[in-house]
Amino acid sequence: MDVIVCVKHVPDAETRLRASSSGKWIDTDGVKFTVNNTYDEAAAEEALRLKEKCGARSVRVITVGPARAEEALRYVLSMGADEATHIEVPADALLDPLTVARLLAGVIKTLPHDIVMVGKQAADDEAGVVGSALGALLGLPSYAFVTQLDPDAASKTLKMHRYVEGGEEHFHGPFPAVVSLLKGAADPRTPTLPNILKARKKPLTKVPLADAEAKARALSPTAAAGSVRSFLLPPPKTGAKMIEFQTPEEAAEKLVRLLREEAKVL
Amino acid sequence: MTLDLLVLTDQRGGSLKVSSLEAISEARRLVAKEGGGKVVVGLLGHDLSAAVEGVRAFGPDLVLVADDAKLRAFSAQAYSAVAARMLERLSEPKAVLAPATALGRELLPRLAVEVGGTIAPDVTEIAPREGGGLVAMRPIFGGRATLAVDLPTLPCLSLRPNAFSSEPKSNPATVVEPFALPALPPTAEAVVVEKTVVSRGDTPELTEAPIIVSGGRGLKGPENFVLIEKLAKVLGAGIGASRAVVDAGWRPASEQVGQTGKTVSPNLYVACGISGAIQHLVGMSSSRCIVAINKDSAAPIFKVATYGVVGDALTILPALTTTLAKSKGLPVP
Ligand SMILES: Cc1cc2nc3c(=O)[nH]c(=O)nc-3n(C[C@H](O)[C@H](O)[C@H](O)COP(=O)(O)OP(=O)(O)OC[C@H]3O[C@@H](n4cnc5c(N)ncnc54)[C@H](O)[C@@H]3O)c2cc1C
Ligand SMILES: Nc1ncnc2c1ncn2[C@@H]1O[C@H](COP(=O)(O)O)[C@@H](O)[C@H]1O
Repeated sequence: MDVIVCVKHVPDAETRLRASSSGKWIDTDGVKFTVNNTYDEAAAEEALRLKEKCGARSVRVITVGPARAEEALRYVLSMGADEATHIEVPADALLDPLTVARLLAGVIKTLPHDIVMVGKQAADDEAGVVGSALGALLGLPSYAFVTQLDPDAASKTLKMHRYVEGGEEHFHGPFPAVVSLLKGAADPRTPTLPNILKARKKPLTKVPLADAEAKARALSPTAAAGSVRSFLLPPPKTGAKMIEFQTPEEAAEKLVRLLREEAKVL
Repeated sequence: MTLDLLVLTDQRGGSLKVSSLEAISEARRLVAKEGGGKVVVGLLGHDLSAAVEGVRAFGPDLVLVADDAKLRAFSAQAYSAVAARMLERLSEPKAVLAPATALGRELLPRLAVEVGGTIAPDVTEIAPREGGGLVAMRPIFGGRATLAVDLPTLPCLSLRPNAFSSEPKSNPATVVEPFALPALPPTAEAVVVEKTVVSRGDTPELTEAPIIVSGGRGLKGPENFVLIEKLAKVLGAGIGASRAVVDAGWRPASEQVGQTGKTVSPNLYVACGISGAIQHLVGMSSSRCIVAINKDSAAPIFKVATYGVVGDALTILPALTTTLAKSKGLPVP
């Protein structure tokens, strides 16, 4: 079995957001990027567990990103992935998630893949689009909001749990497939020093953008995609209106009045 | 210009999600803004008669009902195949709306690829676009910023629950038609739901709840969450929690709000004894109104709050519950 995991190199969660000069994305100057975003790290961990559980042949990590995104690939290699693929795009490229999915699908189509793992959503654009779109482009079933998965290699079936509003569904479906993970079964492992050193020597293939684009066109002739018109930051919060009170009852009465008459949320 | 809209609803498990009705209402508003067009509702699933009545009350022009045992279990592949055929019933230009529930968010990207459309997930505002298509606003970075996205061709949008109002409308002209199932991909037919585990029956689902009362470590112990539960009851609210109290085993993981929990944007979020760590804020800061109750006036939660109460949650909460219950004429729990 071959497992592929897709990860995105994203700004650290604590990043202070400033608009770029184009007004279409954040200013990335001085921003720390990482793959330690909950969903992708969980997807990587689950991909490695799949390998351990059912002796997958290889786990390949793949990303679409600028040169700096190689760091994300090395990180997942140091977690234990075997090989990596880097679809390199210009540093200032603003890619619609459908475009990302097409580039990934074009390349993945040429690689052995039984299960393609992605995170529920990327920590920056939070689209949650790439997984289902990949499924459609590869002509494979896709399963999203998955919280648990167990493959049965003999019947080529995945037994899964998935989040639904108000609970969870236990279900199964065939693979090859794309799985978008909401939450992994275990905390993502932390790379050890020896593994970090080993990861430096693991194979990492660069795919030039033009190549990936040609492969994407072969799969999907239309290239419809949205484009960012503007990136907007909320006006700075002025801070809370603080309620002055002597007794809890007075606090409660003042608060209820404000919620009803000023905020109109009751 | 006119615009025809297909609204895909979510009635997984047999109950029509309120956010489906918000999507139908927004479709009607968009059609009005565009100066005409049809609102077509697609109902996919099995045993849909209650859902048909539910959507009819919101005044669509046409309801296409794909009611089949093969659609009982949700499969993005199967639903997308049916929705793509439904789209053929609309005139150009057209767009697709769905609620941004788990179902809607999984279905639309697939459909967008299969019909050559564009996509904006989890949107909070929609406007017509000069030159055709739509412009959608959607929160990113956990609600810390917003992206305006241009969707020139066949926009497919999932709508964040609570972001759009639902307005019932009687429409005697609504037509309801059964929709014949097209051939489904074999892999789609092989998806089987074995069982559904309901996490909690009596409070609203967090991601859809219009009001959420949430508690953190400042509540001092699991036994004090009864104060949160009582206030939630009077408000008809969902219950949320910080990761600290979920990790401590005081509350179930399904209640966790934040980076590793749920992203919510209710009209009112009441944070009690929650410090306001960034990982919590990214899950709730796009709420319309935020009340913070914390005994430390320097707690970061006050930076994002609309109203702040510096005090002991253990005494403020019961007072709030009593005041609200009395004002609503409810028994004090
Ligand atoms: C990778 C990662 C992911 C994370 N994901 C999440 C997540 O999804 N959700 C999340 O919530 N956290 C998450 N966290 C944890 C987060 O950083 C905080 O540790 C957590 O939110 C703190 O919870 P708390 O506010 O309940 O507790 P504390 O930070 O301990 O705050 C308790 C607050 O209660 C106040 N208080 C004490 N007594 C009273 C009283 N009697 N009345 C009123 N106020 C009182 C205190 O002043 C304090 O502000 C994550 C952390 C990491 C590293
Ligand atoms: N640029 C990218 N390169 C590789 N994988 C990606 C990329 N963007 C998104 N993904 C994967 O798709 C998931 C969903 O991303 P998104 O649809 O952008 O929210 C992420 O959690 C990743 O697993």
